[in-house]
Amino acid sequence: MSAPASGLNLCPPREPSPEEYIAHVDVNSFYVSCERAFDPRLIGRPVIVLSNNDGCAVARSDEAKALGIDMGAPWFKLAPTAERMGLVAKSSNYELYGDLSARTMQLLGRHSAWVEVYSIDEAFLGVRGTLPELQALARRMKQDVMDHLGLPVCVGIAKTKTLAKLANKAAKKNPHLGGVCVWEAVTEEDREQLLGRLPTVEIWGIGPRLAKRLMGLGIRTMKDLRDADAVMLRNRFSIVMMRTVLELRGTPCIPLEEEYEIKDQLIFSRSFSTPITDAHGMEQVLGIYAQQASARLHKHQRQAKVLSAWAMTSYYNTQDNHQPAVTVALPGPTADPLLLTRAAKALLPKILDGVKYARAGIVVTDVRPTGAQETFEPFVNRHEARDIGPLIQKIKQHHGVNAVGLGLAGMKTGPEWTMRREMMSPRYTTHWDELLTVYAS
Amino acid sequence: MQYIRSLEVGGTSVPLLVAQTAVAAGYPSPAQDYFDGTINLSEHLIHDTTSTFIVRVSGCSMEGAGISDGDELIVNRARKPVDGSIVVAVLDGEMTVKRLRLTPRGVVLQAENPQYPDLVVGELASLTVWGVAETCLHQLLA
Repeated sequence: MSAPASGLNLCPPREPSPEEYIAHVDVNSFYVSCERAFDPRLIGRPVIVLSNNDGCAVARSDEAKALGIDMGAPWFKLAPTAERMGLVAKSSNYELYGDLSARTMQLLGRHSAWVEVYSIDEAFLGVRGTLPELQALARRMKQDVMDHLGLPVCVGIAKTKTLAKLANKAAKKNPHLGGVCVWEAVTEEDREQLLGRLPTVEIWGIGPRLAKRLMGLGIRTMKDLRDADAVMLRNRFSIVMMRTVLELRGTPCIPLEEEYEIKDQLIFSRSFSTPITDAHGMEQVLGIYAQQASARLHKHQRQAKVLSAWAMTSYYNTQDNHQPAVTVALPGPTADPLLLTRAAKALLPKILDGVKYARAGIVVTDVRPTGAQETFEPFVNRHEARDIGPLIQKIKQHHGVNAVGLGLAGMKTGPEWTMRREMMSPRYTTHWDELLTVYAS
Repeated sequence: MQYIRSLEVGGTSVPLLVAQTAVAAGYPSPAQDYFDGTINLSEHLIHDTTSTFIVRVSGCSMEGAGISDGDELIVNRARKPVDGSIVVAVLDGEMTVKRLRLTPRGVVLQAENPQYPDLVVGELASLTVWGVAETCLHQLLA
C-alpha cells in the first residue's frame, strides 16, 4: 500500500458521492388496503371505511371513488343504497391498521436507517444513489411491502420532501409508472407540463385558503409558485411559504425529522355516538381517557406534569355552543391513574346540565421520561408508590381492557357513548380470539 | 392512535433457569454464571416479524399433515412457496389451507386426508398464495 503523501489525501480519488434524496412512501387507500389484506373478497369491489361511530367515509377504494362517493360522505345517506351499488362499508379497525402501520414502517426501515414516520400510512426516508439505483430501490420497497403485508404502496423520490410528495402523486396518477416515480428521472418536459397543470392546492402544505390567496396574486399552478418571487412571498405570507417555493425548486428546506417514540404531549379524544348532557356522563368519559393516558405513559415510561381537559358541543350546534376547558398542573411528574383522573375531573363544575356535548378529551403535556426529575418528597404520591397504575395495566392485559377500571370508568355496563363499530372486521393481529380463519375443508 | 399493539405471542418468555436459587452451605449456585436470559418462543417460531401472521384452522382436511381443526398456523406471507409447501391460498375469495403440488398436470392443492379431494388449479399464476405455513400450534390439553 502506498502511503499518502499528506493527511489531506487519505481518500483515493473516486466518483463524486451519490447524492442524497428523499423518498416519500405511502399506502394506497390505507384503511381499505388493510381490510383487503385479510379479506381478499374485498379486492376489486367498492369498499369504504367509516370514521368513529360509523359516521362518514374516511377511506375509499378506487372503485368506491368511481361510484362518486366523496370523502366524508355520511354513512346514513349511503346505507340505503349501499347494497344495490355493491358497496361494502367497514367500521374502522384501529387495532388492525395500527399493527399493519407499525409493520410497514419497520419494513421501510430496512431500506433506510433514516425514516420519518409522517402519519399512520406514510413515511419519508433519506435515500442515496444514482438515478437508476433509486428507481430500483423504489421498486424494491414497493415489492417488499406487497410481499410481506399485501399492501400496495406508491413511492416518490426527489431532492426535497415537497417534490417527493409530488412525485408520489405522479406515481399514483400515472399507471404506466408502476407506482414509483423518481422526479429527477422524469424528462424536464414532462415535469414542466405536470407543474403547469396542477393547481397550488395540491402542493404539500398549501391548503384551500392559502391557494385562494395565491390565486389573488395570479399564482394558480405549481409552476407559477415555483417561479414566483420567494422573498415577496415570504413577506406576504410567511417563511413557510418561502420554504415551499425553494423546495419546489429542488432546494431542501424541510429536513427529515427524527422520530420520537412519544411526543411531549398525548391527546385522548373522541366524538360520542350519543351526546353527553350532564356532569355524570362526562365524569365517566374523562375517567376513561385519564386511564388510557396513564396506561400509555406507563408503557413508554413517561410522566406528565400538566393535564388539560375539555369538552365541546357539535360544530353544527349553533344554539347552545359551549366549549369548557381546564388546565391543571399536576402535583409533580406523574403517570398515576388516580391523580390523572382527579385532575381531569376539574372540568366537571364547568359542564352545564342539558347542553349536548358531542366531544371531549384530555391532553397531557410536559411529558418526560420517568424519573428524569427528582420528585420532592412531599409530592411523592402514595398511590404511585404502591404501583397502582402498573397493577391495573397487568390486570387488563390478563383479563381484558374492561376487567377493571377506576371509579365510574370501571362500570361494567358500557356507557352510552361507547363507540359504534357495527361493521368492524376482526382484530386479526392483536387478539387471539379474533384470528383469521383458514379453511381445511 | 390509541389501539396500536404489536403482535406478540402471548407470554412467550418461558423461564428456563431461575437465578439466585436458594443455596445450601453458602455456596453460590454454579448455575448462576450460566444464566443467560429465558427462552424466547417468538424468536424460535417467528422468522420475520413483519411478514408473519397467525391464523386459525377450521376443518379436518389437513390432518395427515398434523394440522387439526382449531389449530393455529404461523404463516409467513413473504416466504416463496415451493412444491410441497403448506400454503394458505385464496380460492374463490375464501382462505384455504392445502399442500401445494407443482405437478406435470398443473398446480394442485392437495388435501392431507383421503376423505377430501385434491383441487387442480392449472397455472400457478391463477392461484393467489396468501402465505406459507411454517409451524402448526396444536394444543394438547383437553
